[in-house]
Amino acid sequence: MQSFKPTRRTFLKTGTAAAALIGFGPAVLRGAAAQEADLAPYKSAKIDWQQASGETITVAVIPASYFENLITLAPQFKTLTGIDVRFEKIPPAQIRQKCVIDLTSKTGTYATHAADPMYYSLYAANKWVEPLDGYLKDKSLTDDAWFKFDDIIPAWRAADSIDGKLYGVPYDGEVTIQVYRKDLYDAKGLKPADTLEAYVANAAALNNPNDRIWGAALRGVAGAGQNMYIYPSIFREFGGEWFKGGKLTVNGPEAEAALAWYVDLMRKYAPTAAANWNWPDIADAFSQGTVANYIDAHSSASVVNNPEKSKVIGKVAYARWPKGPSGKRVTSIWNWGFPINAALPEKRKKATWLFIQWAASAETQARTAHRFAGPTKRSGVNRTSIWKDADYVKLMNGFGSNFVEATMQALQEDTDVDWRPRVPQWPAIGDTMATAIQSALSGQATVKAALDDAQKRIEPMMRG
Amino acid sequence: MTQAATTTARDFGRVLAQRERRFAAALLAPAFLALMATTTFPLFFLIWTSAFRMDLAMPFTNGFVGFENYSVLLADERFWTSLVVSLVYTVSTVVLQVVIGLALALLVMDMKRGQGLFRLIAILPVVLSPAVVGMIWRTFMLAPEFGIVDFLAINAGLGSKNWLGDPLLAMISVIVIHTWQWTPFAFMVLLASLASLPEDIYEAARLDRATAWQRFRRITLPLLRPAIVMVIIMRTMVALTAFAAIFTVTGGGPGTATEILNLYAYRKSFTELSIGYGSALAVALLIVTILISAILFAMRRAK
Repeated sequence: MQSFKPTRRTFLKTGTAAAALIGFGPAVLRGAAAQEADLAPYKSAKIDWQQASGETITVAVIPASYFENLITLAPQFKTLTGIDVRFEKIPPAQIRQKCVIDLTSKTGTYATHAADPMYYSLYAANKWVEPLDGYLKDKSLTDDAWFKFDDIIPAWRAADSIDGKLYGVPYDGEVTIQVYRKDLYDAKGLKPADTLEAYVANAAALNNPNDRIWGAALRGVAGAGQNMYIYPSIFREFGGEWFKGGKLTVNGPEAEAALAWYVDLMRKYAPTAAANWNWPDIADAFSQGTVANYIDAHSSASVVNNPEKSKVIGKVAYARWPKGPSGKRVTSIWNWGFPINAALPEKRKKATWLFIQWAASAETQARTAHRFAGPTKRSGVNRTSIWKDADYVKLMNGFGSNFVEATMQALQEDTDVDWRPRVPQWPAIGDTMATAIQSALSGQATVKAALDDAQKRIEPMMRG
Repeated sequence: MTQAATTTARDFGRVLAQRERRFAAALLAPAFLALMATTTFPLFFLIWTSAFRMDLAMPFTNGFVGFENYSVLLADERFWTSLVVSLVYTVSTVVLQVVIGLALALLVMDMKRGQGLFRLIAILPVVLSPAVVGMIWRTFMLAPEFGIVDFLAINAGLGSKNWLGDPLLAMISVIVIHTWQWTPFAFMVLLASLASLPEDIYEAARLDRATAWQRFRRITLPLLRPAIVMVIIMRTMVALTAFAAIFTVTGGGPGTATEILNLYAYRKSFTELSIGYGSALAVALLIVTILISAILFAMRRAK
């Protein structure tokens, strides 16, 4: 007969198991039941979500609420697919460089990342990321009837494609629109500007620095994603063409007129500090009631409506870009999309695609937006159908009058494929232009000299 | 017999010495290898890279180009502008640091009480990260309408100035920031040297009725010279390769007004993704730094 002698190890084992059962058992069971219901909408897709189970992928995102909401849902994805997702938050100023370094070194650190649409040319030229059409068409990977890729906003899909090939799937995006103080406009009997001329006139009418109210503010700080995010719209509205006779041209009469308009507006009617401002600074100043109008991302509406900081809630309204001399309104085309790193092993690529499909699906988009439990809801969902969803529209219109209309019209009518020059050299071109715009704004160079210098610097970049 | 014994003893000694050397080499090896791997190898790799065209935006053009990057560099106006900006920045910050640091040191030397406290306060900026210093100055101090410096300027009747948006003011601002952060270093070094100067010379000078200015010119300065030169050398090397503070405060702007050579090399490499040309710029900066340091060291040895 053998008597049971508890060793130190068996004792620990039993103890831990018992403790786990007592402590967490009910919670685990409850969680499992809840998750089963949570996952039903995904399980209606006719694909095997578990096909890459056991993989671990790292996703680089920026620290923004629309990604935070997604991160909170990651456990659902883990249960659905058996894939572990690790998120790494990198500030927007560094994410491009970090990902480019990862892609050139082919280490496959980031399975996917929040990508700047202007970088797909560069990625595609180096074959750093996978063309995604194959993944979309593969019946074992994508159930198109469920995923409804065509429901994703067309301008963003186009922005994430190069020569008709898709390289990234849009997750969240934005357009630039006018954000203005309805109360100040009403007090002076003004209407939101319909032309750039009227925009300056409105700014002049409302500008009163002695009372700490400035007429307008646009991004002033230098950067391909800062002042070079706003200037291209003005350039296009003045009739500028980036490619004249096949050659990238950044100077010339239209460019001079556009830059002169920007410099003039910023010097006369924007706070002096705006020369160093990016959108959060502008939105903060607007929240404090010191700026009457700005043109920037529609998503900044959540900042100017933040009840903890904003003093202008209920006084905000929105309008599309004013028309330029060419008769066009040109908004930005921006989205954070997810590409697949080409340096990954096959199975991990599949795991990454499943993640992308999950994140971009209508269900996840809704769960991170109007159906999100937390306080910050997303304003940049990627689905046309959600933008027509009554609940979502109601939520969005809480940001102020005309918000959904202005945003949707801008998305549908004011986007312009040639808004910015989409070439692999964009990082260099964007930086050069950003420097030129700032030189002109600060008076380091005249408008013409700054643009001519930029042209001189850009030409050798485009030569092979 | 005795001869044999001495031979063995000598052999033994040689073996011992050899072993000693081997042991020393073994002890040194890890540090040496780590140093090679982290400094020497990257340096040679940088020089090697600078002989290539490595353009991530146009991978099909990449290849060995020899000295082409350097010939482009010599004709690149922005290189020369950034070099001038670097030199202006270096000379002005170093001169200011030494002058202000020395003045403070002389002042504090005569303080009867509170010297320790003063030293403690003075050292604070030095221990801050330059990036943090940059952010503080940029947002709290220099922002027009909102910053402390601007507030003082408005109250002093100078009016609100765009401290970082005007080319000249931006340059002055970054120089002031660097000087503010690093003067305490010069101050501490010079104060320590001042404290070690022999008192009897001063006593003799006073007996000879030398004025304060004469004592400073003829005694203090010559005796402090090694310390001053050392401070100049160290601060020059750091100022030439400064990066973080300017990067966070102005990013080289407005336009290119505060774009020092280091920042230009960074932008070329990591924003424009021309790694080869960026490396050539970094090598140029290295050469400039070595040349200037060599001159300073030569000056130190002279006399």
